[in-house]
Amino acid sequence: MVLLESEQFLTELTRLFQKCRLSGSVFITLKKYDGRTKPIPRKGSVEGFEPSDNKCLLRATDGKKKISTVVSSKEVNKFQMAYSNLLRDNMDGLKKRDKKSKSKKSKAAQ
Amino acid sequence: MPQYQTWEEFSRVAEKLYLADPMKARVVLKYRHSDGSLCIKVTDDLVCLVYRTDQAQDVKKIEKFHSQLMRLMVAKESHSVAMETD
Repeated sequence: MVLLESEQFLTELTRLFQKCRLSGSVFITLKKYDGRTKPIPRKGSVEGFEPSDNKCLLRATDGKKKISTVVSSKEVNKFQMAYSNLLRDNMDGLKKRDKKSKSKKSKAAQ
Repeated sequence: MPQYQTWEEFSRVAEKLYLADPMKARVVLKYRHSDGSLCIKVTDDLVCLVYRTDQAQDVKKIEKFHSQLMRLMVAKESHSVAMETD
């Protein structure tokens, strides 16, 4: 799992989308993150670990390649704008609703 | 694993599930360009909510919801500066 900076993550995510255009899926996972870098021990005390409240973890994969990034409240504004645009630009293969144009055509035919 | 047919219902229940336990819940997005399908899943490993679509109009809604949850996760819960003036 490759941990990247937010900007680099966006670049790699774009590349993932482009790679999977003909076949395959892109999986994106979003989860709240408290900054821990060590697993919680089953017994014994946690060593001086302060959970932080303002971060989230973003992961992406195409089934083979994995990338991830941590977003904190400081970066969220800039990151979110770029990220939203990225999603909207790349998820463009879905069906468009054209009920209106169909009914117009049928009216014109009559 | 309930699959929701309406976006309204899904987003309501999903947000509630996240707010119940923010650390446990996660959001998963799956996009397939070859099939033209998008699927969003919200789960806390006990309950799993799924919404699938192939409509372009849902992309914006799903992307907005995704961003909304991201903001919730990143928002600090500790008292803000404004409240300290009391």
